[in-house]
Amino acid sequence: MTFTFSQSQQITPQLALQVLLQFDKAINSALAQRVRNRVNFRGSLNTYRFCDNVWTFVLNDVEFREVTELIKVDKVKIVACDGK
Amino acid sequence: MDQNNSLPPYAQGLASPQGAMTPGIPIFSPMMPYGTGLTPQPIQNTSSLSILEEQQRQQQQQQQQQQQQQQQQQQQQQQAVAAVQQSTSQQATQGPSGQTPQLFHSQTLTTAPLPGTTPLYPSPMTPMTPITPATPASESSGIVPQLQNIVSTVNLGCKLDLKTIALRARNAEYNPKRFAAVIMRIREPRTTALIFSSGKMVCTGAKSEEQSRLAARKYARVVQKLGFPAKFLDFKIQNMVGSCDVKFPIRLEGLVLTHQQFSSYEPELFPGLIYRMIKPRIVLLIFVSGKVVLTGAKVRAEIYEAFENIYPILKGFRKTT
Repeated sequence: MTFTFSQSQQITPQLALQVLLQFDKAINSALAQRVRNRVNFRGSLNTYRFCDNVWTFVLNDVEFREVTELIKVDKVKIVACDGK
Repeated sequence: MDQNNSLPPYAQGLASPQGAMTPGIPIFSPMMPYGTGLTPQPIQNTSSLSILEEQQRQQQQQQQQQQQQQQQQQQQQQQAVAAVQQSTSQQATQGPSGQTPQLFHSQTLTTAPLPGTTPLYPSPMTPMTPITPATPASESSGIVPQLQNIVSTVNLGCKLDLKTIALRARNAEYNPKRFAAVIMRIREPRTTALIFSSGKMVCTGAKSEEQSRLAARKYARVVQKLGFPAKFLDFKIQNMVGSCDVKFPIRLEGLVLTHQQFSSYEPELFPGLIYRMIKPRIVLLIFVSGKVVLTGAKVRAEIYEAFENIYPILKGFRKTT
């Protein structure tokens, strides 16, 4: 069973929230400005969820394919928000 | 599980003078010759949402049917005779309904039906008075429409918080701006459910009545496990869709000319002829290739009856080139 930093009292809940908000800002700007390449991926869908305009997928036996290389993973969780 | 030894509850209603809107024929009888092995059971009022119980119950029913099949047929034949004779007097004023040839199937049980073959005439043991004129010297088609989709509804009996359900259940979508329900799917039986905040639920995609009921119970179980006091009230099958192939091409133009009261055929709009049969009230989509889609049924027997009604008509419009 995994524990979060918050549960194990290593950081305060408020700090945890700040970290998450900063992550949202950073990832959005990084994906918009710093990412240029394209990766294809294919796997089998284990579960999906759509709530508050956020898609959450869990895929199994996924192959991430870029022109240069191939990565295989057993399980991947994808959280996707609207790009617009 | 008394259904095998007496008239099913709503067939009993039909046999009585007041209940007879259609000829007092037990609904289940036309099913038997097709040997489906799965006759729809009277509505079970168990409040338990246990899937294991549901599956055990279904297995027991199947076993009972297989063991007692011959006994049932003979008993049903005798009861059907009684029902027919009771209601014959009321039927005297009703002429044959619609213009579709009525193949009379309820009384055509033999002691050993093979799947797909339906002898038209009853065995000599059971004297019958057919209510609707049977088309003499025409055989049954030997083709059984396959059920493709069943839509059913059930009331879970409590208000639901859709956001909680969407966040905690797996395989759920909830976009309140687009549609006010959670769309949930399960893999076995492969179905989709629309779950509304009122507690009502629509279950689609099952291929048989029992699968639809089992799937609905599984969804109810998911909702129950999320902490809602879900019940399983008023499960009802709302629509059944079947399809089959007559294996010969059909002259749709000819069919729409002779049966224009029932047919609508606009090849520029849709390549299939839409035939609205009056009795039973079924809509058939008939295609040039010979494929037929039947929809609008509340029970399996209506699909079978509608196909047996349309088959001789289609044979008459077979393309010969």
